[in-house]
Amino acid sequence: MTTFRPYPGDVVADTADAVFWQACREERYLVSRCSDCDRHLWPAGACPDHGMAGMTWVEASGRGRLVSWTVVHQDYPSSFRGAPDTTAVIELEEGAFVHSALSCRGRPSVGMAVEVAFHQIGDGVVIPVFCTVGDDTVRDHRPPGVPPPGPTGEGVREP
Amino acid sequence: MAGEPTIVGLGLSPQGRRLGVSRRELRRRAIDEALADAGLHRRQVDACICIGTELEDLRYAGLTPRTSFALNSGGASPGLSVLVAGGLLATGQAEYVVCVYGEAWTGEAPRLTPHHGASTGTDLGGYSYGYPYLHGLVGPASVYALAAQHYLDRHGGGSEDLAAVAVTERSYGAVRPGAVGFGEPITVSDHQESRMIVDPLRLLDCSRPTDGAVAVVVTSPARAADCAATPVAVLGAGTGHNLENWWNGTMFRRTGAAPDAARTAFRRAGVGPEDIDVAQLYAPFSIAVLLQLEEYGFCDEGEAGAFVRGGGTGPKGRLPTNTGGGQLSGFYATGFTPLSEGILQVRGTAPSSQVPGAELCLVSGSGGNGGVQGSWAHVGMILGRPR
Ligand SMILES: [Zn+2]
Repeated sequence: MTTFRPYPGDVVADTADAVFWQACREERYLVSRCSDCDRHLWPAGACPDHGMAGMTWVEASGRGRLVSWTVVHQDYPSSFRGAPDTTAVIELEEGAFVHSALSCRGRPSVGMAVEVAFHQIGDGVVIPVFCTVGDDTVRDHRPPGVPPPGPTGEGVREP
Repeated sequence: MAGEPTIVGLGLSPQGRRLGVSRRELRRRAIDEALADAGLHRRQVDACICIGTELEDLRYAGLTPRTSFALNSGGASPGLSVLVAGGLLATGQAEYVVCVYGEAWTGEAPRLTPHHGASTGTDLGGYSYGYPYLHGLVGPASVYALAAQHYLDRHGGGSEDLAAVAVTERSYGAVRPGAVGFGEPITVSDHQESRMIVDPLRLLDCSRPTDGAVAVVVTSPARAADCAATPVAVLGAGTGHNLENWWNGTMFRRTGAAPDAARTAFRRAGVGPEDIDVAQLYAPFSIAVLLQLEEYGFCDEGEAGAFVRGGGTGPKGRLPTNTGGGQLSGFYATGFTPLSEGILQVRGTAPSSQVPGAELCLVSGSGGNGGVQGSWAHVGMILGRPR
């Protein structure tokens, strides 16, 4: 297990999704959309029918349904301290599929309604997490090792 | 046209954990065994497809082909390499193509004393999965776990459906000399008591990396008749990609065999699922067997669990499957686990669990990453005697 929690900049090669991550810091959930066919896609990339020309970022409802979920019990060399308990695939209302952490009381059920919340995982680093709709106790739940929102991101990313 | 690509040589090095032999030496041994099997001289190899490598150490292997290149699409690579070999044959670029894979993940081979420092290990597939890694989704098991959770939820099945796959494959591995599960049969309760790896996949749902190499020699049907070994032809093949299934929301129901690969393979071979005698499915995790039995049309949706529990994939079943123990209980050589066993079954020379009179064998492979975790290439091939 590594102590380094990955940040968005660690897992992709360029800044194509920079607008999305900036919006997360403002607690706005964006999805990229093709203006030629109205298809919503995530992460950033070209439309399979119309290429990159018509792609723009638009505000999404932040609501969706649970497609599948799992809990990683095994410690892999690339597992990190403070990883979320449950990870999931969500189908957004706009039709795009996203991978996300899932905060949920009890056993998740496929098809259940979820909505986005935002968790600060480091200094200026905010990632979306999906939660059971209407459960404020769940919305406030933070996975172990994740500090509350604020300027102190210390302890998350160790040297 | 050169006709259907035909496999005339198979080389299978020892496969297992901690062999203590370097990958290039394992590859060399598999190549030499494949050439001896085919009755060919090494100078006759005019193309080499090197799977899962950047450095093609032809010099060490003693090969001097007219062309050589690397092919990297994980578990789909062996099947794809045979199709690419068919293209080299059809365009007059080669008469005998060697496709070779080999890895030594677990066995440190003896090394010369280094001048400084120590070699560093590489991270096995954390970053390569991109954004899901931000949320702690690590390793290939997690992709199959999402599919397994979806499957069990959708069909109301239990973990016993997964157990049935693991127990069946172990029953084959337990009688196959050299298999990782040799001499160690398991029960459903062994499976249910094994620890959870990535929910709902337990330890006995998962394959582990093994060391080993496999090579095949591919040629045209005309030249195959002159080779020493019993030829095995690719009667039909089909490719598919799970990226389309990601876009249309079906990726977590599929390995990429449906809709395109299965349909194309059967159409080109001119046969249907009912004609297949034996199947060798790429399944590093138990769920992949259930998905493919349905994708290839052997079972209706949601019925694969009952089919396997009822012995349908066992030695006396309708469709003996992964007859060398598969990747769970045999060995993990990416798509060469199913392909090598398929060749042996069609030749009638499997060292154990030979299916009597097996004429048609389905072989599959999945691997690579099209930009989303799980969006890999899939290839299905129907092997049989040349027609
Ligand atoms: Zn479009």
